Amino acid sequence: MSDMSDIPDATAPPALEAVGVTKVFPGVIANAGVDLALRRGEVHALLGENGAGKSTLASILTGLYRPDAGELRMDGAPVTLKTPRDGLERGIGMVHQHFRLVERFTVTENIALGDKRLPWRWSAAKVRTEVEQLAGRYRLPIDPDAIVGELSVGERQRVEIVKVLYRGAEVLLLDEPTAVLTPQEADALFVTMRALADDGRAVVFISHKLREVMAVSDVVTVMRDGAVVDDVRTADTDPEALARAMVGRSVDLSTRWARSAPGEPVLKLAGLRLDAVDGRGRLEDIDLEVRAGEIVGVAGVAGNGQRELAETIAGLRRPDGGTVQVLHRDITGVRPSQARMAGLAYVPEDRLGTGLAPSLSVTENLQLTRSLPFLIDRRGGLAHATEVIERFDVRTTGPGAAVGTMSGGNAQKVLLARELDVRDGLTRAIVVAAPTRGLDVGATEFVRDLLDARRADGCAILLISEDLDEVRALSDRIVVLSEGRIVLRREAADAEVTELGLAMAGQATPNDAPDEPSQGPSGGPYHEPGGPR
Amino acid sequence: MNETVLVLTLAAAVSAGTPLALAALGALLSERAGVLNLGIEGIMLVGAVTAFLAADASGRPLVGLAAGVLAGAAFTSLHAFLSVTMRANQIVSGLALVIFGTGIATFLGQSIEGRPLAARLPRTSIVGLADIPVLGRVLFSQDVVVYGTWVVIVLAALYLTRTRTGLALRSVGESPATADAVGIRVAAMRYAHVIIGGGFAGAGGAYVILARVPAWAQAGTTNGIGWIAIALVVFASWRPLRALAGAYLFGAALRANFALQAAGITAVPAEFLAMLPYVLTIVVLMVLSATDTRSRLGAPAALGAPFVRDER
Amino acid sequence: MTSWFGRLRLEKRNAPGTGVLLLVPLVSVVAALLFGAVFLSLIGLAPVAVYREMLRVSYTTGYGIADTLVSATPLILTGLAAAIAFRFKLYNIGGEGQLYVGAIAASGAALAFGDRLTGPAAILLVIVAGALGGAVWIAVPALAKAWLGTSEIITSLLLNYVALFLMQYLIFGARTFWRDPESATFPQGARIPDATRLPTLGTTRVNLGLVVAVLAAVVLYLLLTRTRIGYRWRVFGDAPAAARYAGIPSRQVIVVVLLLSGALAGLAGATEVAGRAGRLDPTGLALNIGYNGIIVAALARYNPLAVIPVGLLLGGVLNAGPALQTLPGARVPVAISTMLTGAILLFALAGELFVRYRIRMRDPADVEELAEQATTAVASPRAGTGPEAEA
Repeated sequence: MSDMSDIPDATAPPALEAVGVTKVFPGVIANAGVDLALRRGEVHALLGENGAGKSTLASILTGLYRPDAGELRMDGAPVTLKTPRDGLERGIGMVHQHFRLVERFTVTENIALGDKRLPWRWSAAKVRTEVEQLAGRYRLPIDPDAIVGELSVGERQRVEIVKVLYRGAEVLLLDEPTAVLTPQEADALFVTMRALADDGRAVVFISHKLREVMAVSDVVTVMRDGAVVDDVRTADTDPEALARAMVGRSVDLSTRWARSAPGEPVLKLAGLRLDAVDGRGRLEDIDLEVRAGEIVGVAGVAGNGQRELAETIAGLRRPDGGTVQVLHRDITGVRPSQARMAGLAYVPEDRLGTGLAPSLSVTENLQLTRSLPFLIDRRGGLAHATEVIERFDVRTTGPGAAVGTMSGGNAQKVLLARELDVRDGLTRAIVVAAPTRGLDVGATEFVRDLLDARRADGCAILLISEDLDEVRALSDRIVVLSEGRIVLRREAADAEVTELGLAMAGQATPNDAPDEPSQGPSGGPYHEPGGPR
Repeated sequence: MNETVLVLTLAAAVSAGTPLALAALGALLSERAGVLNLGIEGIMLVGAVTAFLAADASGRPLVGLAAGVLAGAAFTSLHAFLSVTMRANQIVSGLALVIFGTGIATFLGQSIEGRPLAARLPRTSIVGLADIPVLGRVLFSQDVVVYGTWVVIVLAALYLTRTRTGLALRSVGESPATADAVGIRVAAMRYAHVIIGGGFAGAGGAYVILARVPAWAQAGTTNGIGWIAIALVVFASWRPLRALAGAYLFGAALRANFALQAAGITAVPAEFLAMLPYVLTIVVLMVLSATDTRSRLGAPAALGAPFVRDER
Repeated sequence: MTSWFGRLRLEKRNAPGTGVLLLVPLVSVVAALLFGAVFLSLIGLAPVAVYREMLRVSYTTGYGIADTLVSATPLILTGLAAAIAFRFKLYNIGGEGQLYVGAIAASGAALAFGDRLTGPAAILLVIVAGALGGAVWIAVPALAKAWLGTSEIITSLLLNYVALFLMQYLIFGARTFWRDPESATFPQGARIPDATRLPTLGTTRVNLGLVVAVLAAVVLYLLLTRTRIGYRWRVFGDAPAAARYAGIPSRQVIVVVLLLSGALAGLAGATEVAGRAGRLDPTGLALNIGYNGIIVAALARYNPLAVIPVGLLLGGVLNAGPALQTLPGARVPVAISTMLTGAILLFALAGELFVRYRIRMRDPADVEELAEQATTAVASPRAGTGPEAEA
């Protein structure tokens, strides 16, 4: 580790610098002449919408991609990084959004992996000591002997951070680190980031969340469409200015709640129960009503039963108890096609692979959940696809293009066109999971508009997402799922981040107890607290 | 069955299990690197025919063994190239190796078909241990390859669990993106272990011709034990020591028909007895998958998937 | 700074053109022939002369073409068997055993009931029995795959050996129903009744089996591309999770596809019994027709229609090996055919990369130009959906 100083020296050359970096992918200019200076002792936020080029820039800074033009400099000297190992060996470490960990290894094994300083016949003991030291110094509590596959998302992130610190990283890049954390976990992460900067490291915080950027960073660089559009000290700016720079126009930061009062209950879950398989995927006594014309958001940390809840409602899993009703019709444990016939649409979080078959064409994917005649109507399918492409502004080479070759936003449009664009009035209840994940600002607004329109049509929408910001932005009412139970229910207007975060972490206060006095575990009609009457 | 027959049968089971153990170790190393190698049967045939020709020409069985190892490794480099560099479907590539290997071996073996090999592996008893009652004759009155197999199996087990390279190898099979991110050269690791694995499979094939079968009999020389070796890897949960134990178990099954015949049981036709090891393998695979999930069995998570760092 | 090699990049193709699709198999065949030439030279033969002979015995004479068509018939059927399964990532590599059992069932049915039937009924009997035999032989791996999750690869393959022993037992092992009682010293299968033999075309040995094979290919193609069933199978093959999401019963798909695959291989066995051989002939059957079907399917890229021409091409190569043995003074090993087909498959697999990817060399000048475009594009403000760089 190099000599440390408490005060960043503004005259010293930056620890890592990008000068005029350009990266072109087929059809996309991901980075266009980007300049970025990362200094020791600073937390540097890299702000931008999805698709602005942040991740590409990070990949160039860490050696995963090589710039097509421009160069990198370390402490003022030009440097060429050929692989991520080059970056790592020069002290540039990255914590990816999708963790790079071997699930079957222990924490220590993961951290020792690839460390050439270790003797060929290595022993875990020495590494474990170092891991414990680093973890203690930066307040990153982890158990060195735990199997990574059994850790929570937050714990895995701490392992990733210790891993890059163990390898001697002087420049640390964290890509959207808070997306999967509870607000409290995020706050703890900010403390760690500050401690790392104070220790003389350069910390990069990649995010699209204004609140967090304002809270933790010293410097902000804003990117849009692959270029740097703003580069300021955090103290000299405000959220509105950053938002404008990020999106390129004024944006409405407020949430949109339903304008009219919700109607009768459409989707009713009563005492829904799913027993654990291998200690995972448990659901316990889920009671929930979604009424016509409202969006109910389900918040929670990944792996707390969200997927199981959605799949049980959609008929993909048979519950071990309780009932699912759509408009008074019991669809508990029916086949997915029958659930659909009853008026339920389901948009799964995994677009390519579950919601869509990647190698199949747009035309064929639009037929996936439709009932088809024995001989497929090819002409009709083609006409429908052409019409959808036109009306939803899907950017593709044509109805015959495989959806796997399209961008995330355009693929999502195909999926939503199939599940949400129902004009026959049959669909009354919609379950959507993470509908805007990974989409750029335009596509996100498109999805929100579509959900708004369906809500206005009187559909009951259940929105499930691990991204608390997404849930808060879209929902009229919020419930929190933790370890397969609903631990908190709030009107969106009354929901406070702190309270939601504590509930997500499974620490609901006793007076928030969700069990309704009017009903037992066997289910039955009940009234939820605080709902508008 | 009297005691002599029992001892002879067990000793034969150990010998019959040795090519299985070597081939299974080869498949295991490849799979631990994330590359499925279904070509074992073809590699064994190539190793066997090369070993025959080399041993016959030199008059020394160990030269045959060395030639079998080298031929197996060289032949398997095709699979490494196709699955690592060309990102081909590993299942089809492995099958291609079987078909191609059978073709080459039959082609090269045309002139030696049915001919017995003079330079066979001699028996080498281990002084002292060979005199132990029963056990001595079952385990310690074998040839050098049987003993050598124990050594490489133990070394492989230590390599996987105790060394830095072994850790890197396992990470390449579990999560190549993770390995790549910390600077492990995924392609190089895969090439190395697929090819070394091919060398072990070639050794297994060489052993078949040098110690097991009386003469070169085309594809009938190995007669499907390469496939049983692949099943053995699943049975062994991808662990070398368990693979050795399993190999001896299946070796016993392979010898069961001879034992029954020796014991005077002739009610069951020989053809049906010959089916036994294959049927047994199928049943074992079904029971394993019925009782355990793939992940709990220990299959490398990235098995069969080509690694591409940058798809763009 | 960067070498030319560093500037090579692989770009994923959206849809490969017909040119590449045709070129890859053709180049593979040529490369395999060159490779085979090396081996032929090694054992002291003149490759050009051998290849000329192969052409003659398989492709350029009327008699040769007829032989090729006869060889191609079961090959097209086992090719379809592999294509239909592999296409949906169900790896039935037990076509060899299913073919044997199909042949056993077809000859058994013909021997048992053939005398009492005439005309189309007799032929239908043989064909149905063969298909059923093949389907029965894949049933256990199929059910184990669907309900236990047992990989079908090794289970289906190991059954090839079991089928081989079964067939050997029926002819060589004991005096069974299938064995010709007259053949004591050189055991062979009993002749099936003439009514159950497939009619031949004119004076040639080309039989109705070829028509059955071509018909099967066309029907399969239509099933896959035009019907709901084929659509569901394609969803399952591409993304099992999407199939589950859409309510497509995966277990049913696995079992039906594998049974169909087995039936097609069994059908190949039936055409061999009722066509070429006229009896259960273990040595005539054990020519790797099942394994070679996998090569046919791979070269045809698992497209049923493409299986027909590829089957005809490989039928000639496979016919040539044995045909060369009948020539006076033949020194060409019969295994030349197996080696060549294996090599063709290896080259085709390598060529697959060029089907899926386009190899491009990046010119540094291009990059500067693109960068310039990028800067100007950003300078002019634009809102709405841009292409997503981080998708």
